[in-house]
Amino acid sequence: MKQNQQTVWMILALLIAAGIAPWVLPTYYLYLLNLILINIILALGLNVLTGNSGQISLCHSSFMAIGAYTYTLLNNHSQLPMLLCVLVAVLLASVGGILVGYPARRLSGIYLALATLAFLSLTQILIEEFPDLTGGIRGLKIEPSEFLGWSMGNETMLFYIVAIACGFCLYITANMMRSRIGRAFDAIRTSPHAAQALGIQVAQVKLVAFTISAAYAGLAGALFSMVVGFIDPVEFGVSASLRYITFIVVGGMGSIAGSVIGAVVFTGLPEALRGIKEYGDLVYSAILLLSLIFMPNGLVGLLRARKSKPNASTVGH
Amino acid sequence: MTITIALQLLIAGLSVGSIYALVALALVIPFKASSILNFAQGELVTVGAYAALVLTALALPYWVVLPVTILIGFVVGLFIERAMIRRIMAAPEFTLVIATFAIGLIIKSAIRLYWQDNLFTIDNPLPFGSFRVAGVVLNPQYLWVIFCTTMLVVCLAWFFKFNPLGKAMRAVSQSQEAARLMGVSVERVLMISWGISSAIGALGGILLAPIIGINPEVGHLVLKALVAAVIGGFTSLPGAVVGGLLLGLIETYSGAFFGSTAKNILPFVVLVVFLLVRPYGLFGRAPLVRI
Repeated sequence: MKQNQQTVWMILALLIAAGIAPWVLPTYYLYLLNLILINIILALGLNVLTGNSGQISLCHSSFMAIGAYTYTLLNNHSQLPMLLCVLVAVLLASVGGILVGYPARRLSGIYLALATLAFLSLTQILIEEFPDLTGGIRGLKIEPSEFLGWSMGNETMLFYIVAIACGFCLYITANMMRSRIGRAFDAIRTSPHAAQALGIQVAQVKLVAFTISAAYAGLAGALFSMVVGFIDPVEFGVSASLRYITFIVVGGMGSIAGSVIGAVVFTGLPEALRGIKEYGDLVYSAILLLSLIFMPNGLVGLLRARKSKPNASTVGH
Repeated sequence: MTITIALQLLIAGLSVGSIYALVALALVIPFKASSILNFAQGELVTVGAYAALVLTALALPYWVVLPVTILIGFVVGLFIERAMIRRIMAAPEFTLVIATFAIGLIIKSAIRLYWQDNLFTIDNPLPFGSFRVAGVVLNPQYLWVIFCTTMLVVCLAWFFKFNPLGKAMRAVSQSQEAARLMGVSVERVLMISWGISSAIGALGGILLAPIIGINPEVGHLVLKALVAAVIGGFTSLPGAVVGGLLLGLIETYSGAFFGSTAKNILPFVVLVVFLLVRPYGLFGRAPLVRI
């Protein structure tokens, strides 16, 4: 009961903070906050697939690319309302998830890694080979659109949209993990054979995991193109995928708190290290490698271990 | 299409393919021994190329640069195995995939920090230029690549068949436990298998350097080598060679017939088809797993 009360207070505090944030924060920090929220959405989706279901995906940046390019093209070339564009972007990204998930049903380990790597390379090549549509390696600019009569150039409006999307994703994920499908995700990671024996259709659950996860990435992609205003294929390469994996590995696999912590730390970190910007990739990958070796359960795992230690000793007495 | 053009494409395909085969071999050797796929292999090729660049800048002749580069590659491989891979040998596959990827990214970004995105090149080691045989233009660079790959394959075949260390390596890949009981130092064998694979990668780097130039993105080549290794089946050395050559030919001919888009896309389509239809390749066998 006390736990519940605490959670309610925390959510209220966060809501109030989000409500006043766009009125008090300078433009640049608001932009940064937007990026953090988008990365949280992405990390949540990736964690469902990798942390909970135990599947490797090296192509999350491609799902994001599908979302970003779909939104941008619809937004620039059609009169569809903003929400519909986002919806189509999310749907197409999920179709990408199905495309990868279908072969993934039968693959695991390095073979799955290879299949997702192939998908990433294919999307990269397709973006670069059709410059008339996608702008090729020169990238695409996003025209500001309107939402309910408000221009999306309006930063306050944009922030509220991103924040609502992020809150929605957090809510959905927290509930999904407690539902039948969420438990099925955990089951196919812990032991696919046991899960199958208990009547969970492992292949189908994998496909669902890929689809849902890609939908999150598609949403993140669409929001990303709104916030940044410019997209190019370099933004969605292998190193981007690895960056997102860093979020959840360092934050904590299979944990919502882990996704949030990872996304906050690693979107903020490049800003803290702004003086040594060109070291970005090096720092990222070094932290990733070190935490894989020395901290396999992530920051959340460390916190939990610290919390449970005194309890363990009292039990011992 | 005339026979001359077909022959010309055949030569081109084989030389591209032998580079793929070389790097695919470098992927398969440690995979067989330790069942770890090294996604950083492409960056080990880059290391070889830059080592050659530095050594050439010291005004050393090619015949010194070549063995020293291979030696540097060998030592780098030993170091990576000893310092990083051995600590996570027993970790889940996800950790290993991401860790090797991270190692690759570390190498690439470190190189990019020092040399920036500049394109370097080293001189053609062979003293003569292109020549024609029966209307087919032969580029000695490509012939040199084909020659080196052939020599490497012969050496490896000998090594795994007759050399005690090579035999130990095969024993380890069959059963680490049994090999240990027979007095093989498994740790040492695994470390050396990474060294050898990294040395082969460095050889690939120095062979590629005069052809495509040296920049931090050289390692991108590993994608093609992975496709080649999948075609051949991950556990087969002859398979890696056949897969590499096949991929080179597929790329060259499809490029000639259908243009560059097809050439770029086809390798990955082949990869997906193989993963779906024959995930263990042409020569590999599905491992038997006890549940």
